[in-house]
Amino acid sequence: MASDDSLPTLKILLIGPSGAGKSALLTRYCDDEFDPESSTATIGIDFKIKKLAVRGKAYRLTLFDTAGQERFRTLSTSFYRGAHGVLLVYDISSRASFLTMERWFDEAEANTVEGIALYLVGAKLDKAESSREVSPEEGQALADAHGARFCEASAKTRVNVRRPFVDIVDQIVQTLGLLSGAGRTPGTVAVSGGGGGGYLSSCPC
Amino acid sequence: MAQLPYAIDAETPLNPAELEVLRAQYEKEGDMVGVQTKFNYAWGLVKSNTRTDQHLGLMLLSEIFRTSPERRRECLYYLALGNYKLASYAQARKYNELLLDIEPHNLQAANLQAMIDDKVAKEGLMGVAIASGVVVAAGLVGGVLFRSLGRKR
Repeated sequence: MASDDSLPTLKILLIGPSGAGKSALLTRYCDDEFDPESSTATIGIDFKIKKLAVRGKAYRLTLFDTAGQERFRTLSTSFYRGAHGVLLVYDISSRASFLTMERWFDEAEANTVEGIALYLVGAKLDKAESSREVSPEEGQALADAHGARFCEASAKTRVNVRRPFVDIVDQIVQTLGLLSGAGRTPGTVAVSGGGGGGYLSSCPC
Repeated sequence: MAQLPYAIDAETPLNPAELEVLRAQYEKEGDMVGVQTKFNYAWGLVKSNTRTDQHLGLMLLSEIFRTSPERRRECLYYLALGNYKLASYAQARKYNELLLDIEPHNLQAANLQAMIDDKVAKEGLMGVAIASGVVVAAGLVGGVLFRSLGRKR
């Protein structure tokens, strides 16, 4: 694994409401596993590493899977430091989950530098036939409003599982300004001006 | 999958200013401290690289575990993580297994279990190496003594 350490490292966060399917998407992408039984809510933060080549160049993705539960929000916002991209995930079979997305965009925008890559993912596409509550057009419109890209995906059927990761890395590496932070020590990228102060803005003090 | 999982939450300490904010909030609330404030501070302490911080964090987590049943799963997880950091692997395993009893499919707990097992296996090998070193040394000394005794006879 030593050779991987020399690859440019990109830090990507997954955020979104509890139960949207962030961990399922990440586990399918990184390990090609899907366990319908494993519906335990993430505690605090989980983390995976994945190597990915985009446009003939390899990158080392560090993927931070944050807990969606409100009780962990003040904690996981500290992980935005040095992030290059954020995947915002909702459940297409839950209008309630979609309606919280404005708030998740607000959190992402408040804790990151301007111009960071944002990507909206409508998860659980396998439920489109039986119980879709959010149309793809609505998803696309929300993404457009925030300058984010968009797709729908299913961890269960594997449809589009790689796409958000490949696309966001492509977007990140094209935005050269953001790339200047990659490969350096994590945490050296100045985020939200006040260094570590960024996450405090969401602290309900 | 030969690679071990990461306990990223345990391995990334907050910077001092961040921890200070959590501590200040905790102290401000005094005796009436809310469980969220207490948990946030305990989490920051467990992530710290200072042993006294880690011990205090574990103490607070034990208190939350007792007083707030709805917080038990995260308390168990961070109690396991904190003990793992302190190299108290038996304790770490105890808390993690309690979590796995409640949530057998919890992947984070499964990963932590693998990490604990790995550390114990490595330390176990070290123990065996030290013990066998002692045996070899004792054998040499014994052999020398035995021979010299034999010569005297």
